Amino acid sequence: MFIFEKRTQIPVVIKNRNPKLASYILSQYGGPDGELGAALRYLSQRFAQKDKRAIALLTDVGTEELGHLEMIGSIVSQLTTGEGARSFDRYGVGDYYIDHANAVYPASASGVPFTAAYIQSKADPIADLMEDLAAEQKARATYDNILRMCDDPDVANVIKFLREREVVHFQRFGEVLDILQEKIC
Amino acid sequence: MAADMTPRCAALLKKLSEADFFALDLKLYLDTHPDDCEAIRIYREAVKQAKACRQAFEAECYPLRCESAGKDGDWDWLCGKWIK
Repeated sequence: MFIFEKRTQIPVVIKNRNPKLASYILSQYGGPDGELGAALRYLSQRFAQKDKRAIALLTDVGTEELGHLEMIGSIVSQLTTGEGARSFDRYGVGDYYIDHANAVYPASASGVPFTAAYIQSKADPIADLMEDLAAEQKARATYDNILRMCDDPDVANVIKFLREREVVHFQRFGEVLDILQEKIC
Repeated sequence: MAADMTPRCAALLKKLSEADFFALDLKLYLDTHPDDCEAIRIYREAVKQAKACRQAFEAECYPLRCESAGKDGDWDWLCGKWIK
């Protein structure tokens, strides 16, 4: 089960408004390599894992990803707080405003709504962990792309933190994969 | 936003973030290294520190977990900065 705590993993405090940047960062909310997909992937795959270390890691990383989803939502929300229709339009994201105004909606940067087709859950421990390793790298690469587009230090500092977490998760998933492969041999 | 928060509360929150993050990162390490006794000892210490930081924040600022709300007879769960 989950216990909600009224804070984010690190404080998210964004001073400036920028609906365009918000529309890019939204991809890590509901995009193909985003935090929602990550949380669903790990929290679903864990049911079929047999090794306690794999189950624990998928549970703990999946839980952390839910917290990251919240942090991304917070960045998007703060970047658009108080911005009106004309501002969204000036920033080139009037189409997002028409469908969602100042709301946070799980979609990719290009506007594709979130779909579970982004993830797999195969009941095959090796296949699932291989997907997880790739997923962490793809998320890391997306954060790299966001950092190339982002010159707001308040946003970049949070994005850099989240990027680093992908690297740590990749390391841990790799360790579990090694453990399982040794058991097979 | 921390603008809704006194500097004192923002500082207490930062301390909690740091302490709790240390425990969280150790937890992931221990999932794949459950036999590392030294790491388990450090984990227990980190959890103790984070708990103290959480209590310090909640005593001076507002409840972070619902289980800490209502201690003074007011429904203060609504208080403070929600995720925004």
